[in-house]
Amino acid sequence: MSRNITNTVDKNLHELDSNVLSLKFSTQFDDFTLSVNQCLSAQGITGVFGHSGSGKSTLLRLISGLESSSTGQLILNGKTLFDSAKNINIKSEKRRIGLVFQDSRLFPHLNVLQNLEYAHKRCVNKQLKVEDIIQLTQLQPLLHKKTTLLSGGEKQRVAIARAILSEPELLLLDEPLSALDNQNRALMITLLLNVQRTLNIPMLYVSHSLAEIQQLADNLLVMNQGKIEYSGAIHQIIHTLNNSQTTLQQTSLALKVNEYLPQYGLTSLQLTPDINIYLPFQKSTLNDEEVNTQTVRCYIAASDISISKSEVFDSSIVNHFQAKIVSIKKQSNTLLLTLTCSDQVFYSTVSLWSAERLSLNIDDLVYIQFKASAVHCLANIREG
Amino acid sequence: MSESSLLASSDMIALFTTLKMALVTTIILMIIGTPLAWYLAKMKSRYKIAIEAFVALPIVLPPTVLGFYLLIAFSPQHLPGQVWQSVTGQQLAFSFSAIVIGSVFYSLPFVVQPLQKAFEQLGDDILEAGAMLGANAVDRFFTIVLPITKASFITAASLGFAHTVGEFAIVLMIGGNISGETKVLSIALFEHVEAFNYEKAHILAASLLVGSFIVLGLIYLLNYKKPTSVKSNKSVSML
Repeated sequence: MSRNITNTVDKNLHELDSNVLSLKFSTQFDDFTLSVNQCLSAQGITGVFGHSGSGKSTLLRLISGLESSSTGQLILNGKTLFDSAKNINIKSEKRRIGLVFQDSRLFPHLNVLQNLEYAHKRCVNKQLKVEDIIQLTQLQPLLHKKTTLLSGGEKQRVAIARAILSEPELLLLDEPLSALDNQNRALMITLLLNVQRTLNIPMLYVSHSLAEIQQLADNLLVMNQGKIEYSGAIHQIIHTLNNSQTTLQQTSLALKVNEYLPQYGLTSLQLTPDINIYLPFQKSTLNDEEVNTQTVRCYIAASDISISKSEVFDSSIVNHFQAKIVSIKKQSNTLLLTLTCSDQVFYSTVSLWSAERLSLNIDDLVYIQFKASAVHCLANIREG
Repeated sequence: MSESSLLASSDMIALFTTLKMALVTTIILMIIGTPLAWYLAKMKSRYKIAIEAFVALPIVLPPTVLGFYLLIAFSPQHLPGQVWQSVTGQQLAFSFSAIVIGSVFYSLPFVVQPLQKAFEQLGDDILEAGAMLGANAVDRFFTIVLPITKASFITAASLGFAHTVGEFAIVLMIGGNISGETKVLSIALFEHVEAFNYEKAHILAASLLVGSFIVLGLIYLLNYKKPTSVKSNKSVSML
């Protein structure tokens, strides 16, 4: 059983409720067993994180119907798609589930527009217009190109547009950005968020990059050896993972933009009415009409946050403010400090020597400081 | 004058019989060969190897061996021949149907092998993509498999057709030499040679040679386009 950090879904309601994806799979593959029993909210973007071989891609294939489980049950929005006990197994093409593959899998004999029309023609509802999706995914200049002539980023944009045009009730994305460079990944993340905001299609986003998921997802599932280890709200789960030391120990934040300061190459985010967090200026996320309502997601590696007993003003480090130590955890040769400032939790790793020199204790008020460039967001995301 | 035109008309009948046999055989081969090739390309059954070997037999086996066994099977003394006779009321051996069935066995590998290779190369990925967009199996075959492997279908049909046109020993053994029914071009040619009528033999031999060359040339031309277009794609994407 997984550890539910925030129990947002009442399990007893799942058969009646819409916007619920209920998964129950238990199946043996050549080299591992996948065993999952989970109710998910089929709303927004849910990230599925796990290392290679953890079973996350297999989970998507089971949900899509491309793979069959020996025993289990799959219910989406109250409709049973698979039930081994009742001998129900709806075929992939009838499940109304979209899947964007890692390798895009565009039809090589059709051009971009024909690939999109292929999906649209087979869609039952046809609520969406091909032209609108072309505009949303910025594919106008590519429509008559052969798919073999597209770049990796362009291919994935077509694959996403094509999947959207089949108007799925749930869109599965299987590491769709893993073959792209950082710049293209940042553009695609912005595009996916835009798609999600405009069309409100629930998405299950699989990736082995926590940084990517951190930028996109509202909820997070962590898979390990064929099981769901954690599930819950994104920032909380990422912070929970800090204790396992299997991922980059980090502080995960989602804060409102306070001000864009292009003249200094900085953007400031509001932590509290008195405290701002500065990060490198993000041009790609700038959207004039949304400046003051925009929320920026970012993360700071625990190793990039340092601790001082007194506030240092005559330093090039722009981010420094007071926080309270709430926990101290000894790791192999460092200490992981958990600190709070207002309601926000911060994580910092310090060497045992520094901890001894500063004689840090729980409930101490200290100053945390980090450079603007230590705050990672979109274009400068770093692998965990 | 009248004798030569009479002979020419018998050759014309042989040509017509040959083309009819090849066409009917090719149609049957495409209908049987496509699912068989699909099965061999996709299935991981242990029977696969046995079926593959059986399909490939006519490539290595002397046609007389195949012809001999088919002749026995088609005779009214044996079950296949008896079943045929009770259903159609006609004897199977030495009939047009017999040479078509013989040709189907004889040309099967030439249809199945190119298709099997094409289906293997196509893989499942692109078909999974089709399924996820709502296309069912039949839809996927006609809108994805067929257009992508079109060249292999044309190759398979052309090879099946050309190979059937060129067969001799099987037709002779199970069809005999009945004009308008089982007498095909290769047998007419053999007859001319036996009668020392080399001029007519030349005409038939040369037309078979040229015809086969044209068919094979067209197949190679068709398959030649593919690598060149891939090459041009590469050079563009590298820019």
